[in-house]
Amino acid sequence: MYRVMLIDDELPVRKLMLSSIDWASLDMEVVGEAASGIEAINVIDDMRPDIAFVDISMPFMNGIEFTEVATKNYPELIIIIMTAFDKFEYARKCVSLPVFDYMLKPMVRTEVTDTLLRAKARLDARLGDRSKSLVFGSAAPQDDSADEGGSVSEQIMRYIEANYTDSCVNLTSVAQQFGFSSSYLSRKFKQETGRNFLEYLTECRMKKAIELAENNVKMYKASAAVGIPDPNYFGRCFKKFTGKGYSEYVR
Amino acid sequence: MVSGLRIIMLLIVLLLSVSFFVSVFYIVNKERRENITREAVTTLNTLSESISSDIERYKEISRLVMMDDGLVTFLKATGTPVDAVFINDTRSSIMRVLNPTTMVDSVFGFRDDGIYIVSNRNRYSMDFSIINDPEWKQAIEDQKGGAVISVNADGGISRVVGRPLVSIGRTVYDVNTQQRIGMIIMNISSAFMDKKLISISDKKIAVIGTDGTLLSGNDSVPALLCGLDINISEDIVHREIKDGNTNLLLSIKQLPQMPIYIAVATPIENGFVMYGTIYVLLGLLLVFMFAIAVAGMYITRYITKPVSDLTRALDETTEKGTLKQIDIDIPENEISVLKDSYNGMVERVNNLFDKVLDNEKAIRRAEMRMLHEQIKPHFLYNSLETIGYLAMEAGAEDVHKALETLGSFYRNFLSKGEREITLKTELNIIKDYLALQKLRYGDILTDEYDIAEDTLNCRIPKLILQPIVENSIYHGIRLKGEMGLIRISSRFVDGLLHLSVYDTGIGMPQEQIDEILSKKQYNGDTDSAFADIYDTSDSFGLWGTIERVRGFCENDDVVSIRSEQGEFTEVEFVIKPRTR
Repeated sequence: MYRVMLIDDELPVRKLMLSSIDWASLDMEVVGEAASGIEAINVIDDMRPDIAFVDISMPFMNGIEFTEVATKNYPELIIIIMTAFDKFEYARKCVSLPVFDYMLKPMVRTEVTDTLLRAKARLDARLGDRSKSLVFGSAAPQDDSADEGGSVSEQIMRYIEANYTDSCVNLTSVAQQFGFSSSYLSRKFKQETGRNFLEYLTECRMKKAIELAENNVKMYKASAAVGIPDPNYFGRCFKKFTGKGYSEYVR
Repeated sequence: MVSGLRIIMLLIVLLLSVSFFVSVFYIVNKERRENITREAVTTLNTLSESISSDIERYKEISRLVMMDDGLVTFLKATGTPVDAVFINDTRSSIMRVLNPTTMVDSVFGFRDDGIYIVSNRNRYSMDFSIINDPEWKQAIEDQKGGAVISVNADGGISRVVGRPLVSIGRTVYDVNTQQRIGMIIMNISSAFMDKKLISISDKKIAVIGTDGTLLSGNDSVPALLCGLDINISEDIVHREIKDGNTNLLLSIKQLPQMPIYIAVATPIENGFVMYGTIYVLLGLLLVFMFAIAVAGMYITRYITKPVSDLTRALDETTEKGTLKQIDIDIPENEISVLKDSYNGMVERVNNLFDKVLDNEKAIRRAEMRMLHEQIKPHFLYNSLETIGYLAMEAGAEDVHKALETLGSFYRNFLSKGEREITLKTELNIIKDYLALQKLRYGDILTDEYDIAEDTLNCRIPKLILQPIVENSIYHGIRLKGEMGLIRISSRFVDGLLHLSVYDTGIGMPQEQIDEILSKKQYNGDTDSAFADIYDTSDSFGLWGTIERVRGFCENDDVVSIRSEQGEFTEVEFVIKPRTR
């Protein structure tokens, strides 16, 4: 089963994609969705997708920017750009980006299926080449010698506390920072702290957000200040974390 | 420009006057000299001829004397004693010859033995060193019987009291033997010239011997001759000299084969000048200058001034930036032709402008029509209805409703290609648009309408509010991440239609408002939009709409934007209502 992630700011588009394609027959499953580039970067480590459908027109971090970040951090990821007609010619200009294919909206199922089949063929071939290594699979720990008690995790926690306002901080960027594979870091972090990496990162951001909310800071400003510049995603995270809307915190 | 021309004219007049007077002065001087010279030459030639012919006559008389028997006898009578009787006989013989003549002073007969006879008893001062000088005598003999003219016999004979003498010397030969027998010198009183000179008395004129003896005429002339180098080889010599304060032209002629000069001294100032000619020239000059002045006035009035007026009028139209026909008062001449042809050109250019504009409009209309054709509204509407029906059949009520909204949106959106629609239609477009956007993005906003009833039928440019609403969503509300409000209001204030779109989005900084309101081309090309498709600075839709409304109303002050960052944005149009 290959893992697919849908990144589009329109919920109906994502839902349509999810329900109109027969994923199972392609030996694929949709493991996650994101409504903006920012959200995608935040959750991509949990999703560990092989294929990402990316819309170009999204606020805060558009498809092109997302592709730039993603191809740097996840070189194996197959990116398929989805674009509306009026942005298509412009998307064509980014051929320098290692994008697997460009597709024109509105979506036509057969075209999407064809593209997915070609993507699957490439993934199959890659699997054949390196059967032991999946893109986000069971990466072997590179450096066990760094296992000095909880110090690595503590270092990482300190690093997160110092850098969570940077919207580019996520599991992969931190792993690269510390010289681990992201899967190893994820496992090790969980082992040592008993907590999920993303949960911890989000917790840091939300604690700060609560503080800002109590100081009557506007949501869009708070969201940028804690490293989630997409206020829509920020709002969802906030609600999930506190159980209340941001505006309810603001008096 | 005018003063420049005037200066040139003045210079021309000045130059003309100066050159006129210089040349007049020059011509007058030249004329005077030439006239004086000519007169002097005439005088000299006349006198010379007259005196010469007189002297010739005396020479003839001297020949008669020479051949007088009494004298010949006296000269031949060598050895014979010369007594009083002999002398008397000889004298009377000579006097007989001389009787019919006047002015002959005396005749001297010289024998080679030194004895001589004088025809009268006047007292003479004799210098025998000259008379007996062999060289002097030889000069006379060399004439072979001809006469030699001299003054006072070159100093040999002169009256003790009386006028200087013109002497005619001859060698006398024996008729039969052709042997030299002696020499006679006939003396003529220089008074014979006085008569001739008196007739030309208005000038200083004198007859002078080469030795400076004044023979006749004005006694101040010999002094003028002093120190002058007179070249005898020339026929007439002219010299300009200064005598006291007067400039004199001194003209000198030597009588042919005689040691006698005639000199005429004429004051140059006295020279005859053709003042009549000069006055005519002066008159011509005045006429000419008057003509120039008239021409200058003509040029100023009919050319220079119209040209400067024309230039000013042209400059004015250029400053205004529009090509307008010139309407100024210009005299009927070439300049007015120029004005007319300029106006003609302006008319043609304006016609061309209009034509180009019309063409452009026609092209635009054609393009719009083609776009309209491409959209194929009927096909779209029919398809939407069909799908709507299918949805109804399948029990999907909400799908039918969405399709209905979409159909309604497109029908109003296209509005049969009209440029103006009623506010009511525009509001319907916005309502449909927002309904569809809510389907896409969920409940991210609420919309409110505060519409004055009397504004509903106002005709406004099509799609001036919808792009503002779209801008409110994408660049205001969605970026804030909170539930937003869009409020559309319309009302009449002082007869003007106020339309505003208010949203509770993130607002925009003043610099961005200024940039949007500025007339300069907004960077709407795809390259610069590369990195920020949804970036807040990409407000091309807003800018383009504002430009469109400005163009439609032909007024830049129809829009205002108010905003507070993090709170709201309000775009307001104030336009003249058009009802129909």
